[in-house]
Amino acid sequence: MIPQDHEERRLLIAEYVLGLHRGERAAEIKRWLAEDDEAGRLARRWREHWVGAADLLPPARPPARLWRRVAWETGLARPWWRSGWASVAVWRTVSAALLVAVVLLVGPLRQPAPVYTAVLQAPGESARPGWRITVSDAGDLRLTPLVKGQYAADRSVQFWTLAEADKGPRSLGLVEPGRSLVIPASRVGGVESGQLFELTLEPEGGSPEDRPTGPVLFIGRAVAL
Amino acid sequence: MDDDQQHLEQGNALMLACAGGDRDAFQRLYSIEAPRMLALARRFTGEQAAAEDAVQDTFVQVWRNAHRFRRERGSARAWLYSLLRYRLINQQRRGGQIGHQGLPGDDWPDPAPSPEQCSLLADRDRRLLDCLRGLRGERRRPILMAFYHGLTYEQIAEALAVPAGTIKSRVRSGLKGLQECLRL
Repeated sequence: MIPQDHEERRLLIAEYVLGLHRGERAAEIKRWLAEDDEAGRLARRWREHWVGAADLLPPARPPARLWRRVAWETGLARPWWRSGWASVAVWRTVSAALLVAVVLLVGPLRQPAPVYTAVLQAPGESARPGWRITVSDAGDLRLTPLVKGQYAADRSVQFWTLAEADKGPRSLGLVEPGRSLVIPASRVGGVESGQLFELTLEPEGGSPEDRPTGPVLFIGRAVAL
Repeated sequence: MDDDQQHLEQGNALMLACAGGDRDAFQRLYSIEAPRMLALARRFTGEQAAAEDAVQDTFVQVWRNAHRFRRERGSARAWLYSLLRYRLINQQRRGGQIGHQGLPGDDWPDPAPSPEQCSLLADRDRRLLDCLRGLRGERRRPILMAFYHGLTYEQIAEALAVPAGTIKSRVRSGLKGLQECLRL
């Protein structure tokens, strides 16, 4: 029963918002708040203030899997192992890229001799290389553009590698379209034959997660020379 | 417009964009709010997996029901946190288990938050903090146990080994004090 006394009513609302009432009593108060404008307003004001209590907590960094789960559940994304990294179209592209890589790299890239190379291509466009990767024997990685790309000002192009499938992709930083980039061995972390590299289009400043969230622009796989 | 108001308005704008199916807005909303929501859920459940489940369900619910958000009925942030707490309370009731982390105000009134911490808090948060700090510990603590741990009067009484009637009286006195301090 909802009390008649004004002060008692106000306290009941404060208790309800705090979650102190459960079951049928909570349902009864909820119905009352929906019907009584003044009571509903006070409940909303309490809720606004309690957000401040949540803000007093130090934030906890959500693991990347949490966003993946949310995106999957809402239909906004597929799990990463079913995305660009592993789709049939991409693997076809990657295979074709291997052939193009050999053709592109014979000769001019012998000084200093790279030990690995990869040609990154747009998914589904196996005859159009977009970027070339070379990795020196010291492990430094050079990313060279083969096309000029233009993207919206509020987007960034991010470079990723996938060395071990169970650990997921690792960011190698942001890339400026049309400009070469050298990444030192210490950041590259070692390259193996077959290692995947990709460039994705992300929100400005890079992916908010520690994995790609935007579409794959170019993708390719390292080949030992 | 102060930072607090900007934060609220940003949340409202993102929620309205979500209602229009804007995926980027949804991801941005997640990036901004998930860290604090996860912190609250962890405090509530004392368990990472259960906390993640609650945050996940809340965001899924938000995406599916964003069209129901009405600015005039409160801020998007208040809606988000209400959904999360509702979900956590239900989860707790179904599981029948109560595990949680310590209260953020366990060490109040001393040591007080540093001037740097205080300067980072929005005006509204500072008001709430000041009002909470103004309460006697025996009144503040059960209120915080209700908010951060989702405990009922009976559960608080049991945890503090104090009769339920006494806890109820302390909570209601504390809420009355908060009501006056916050000018509600």
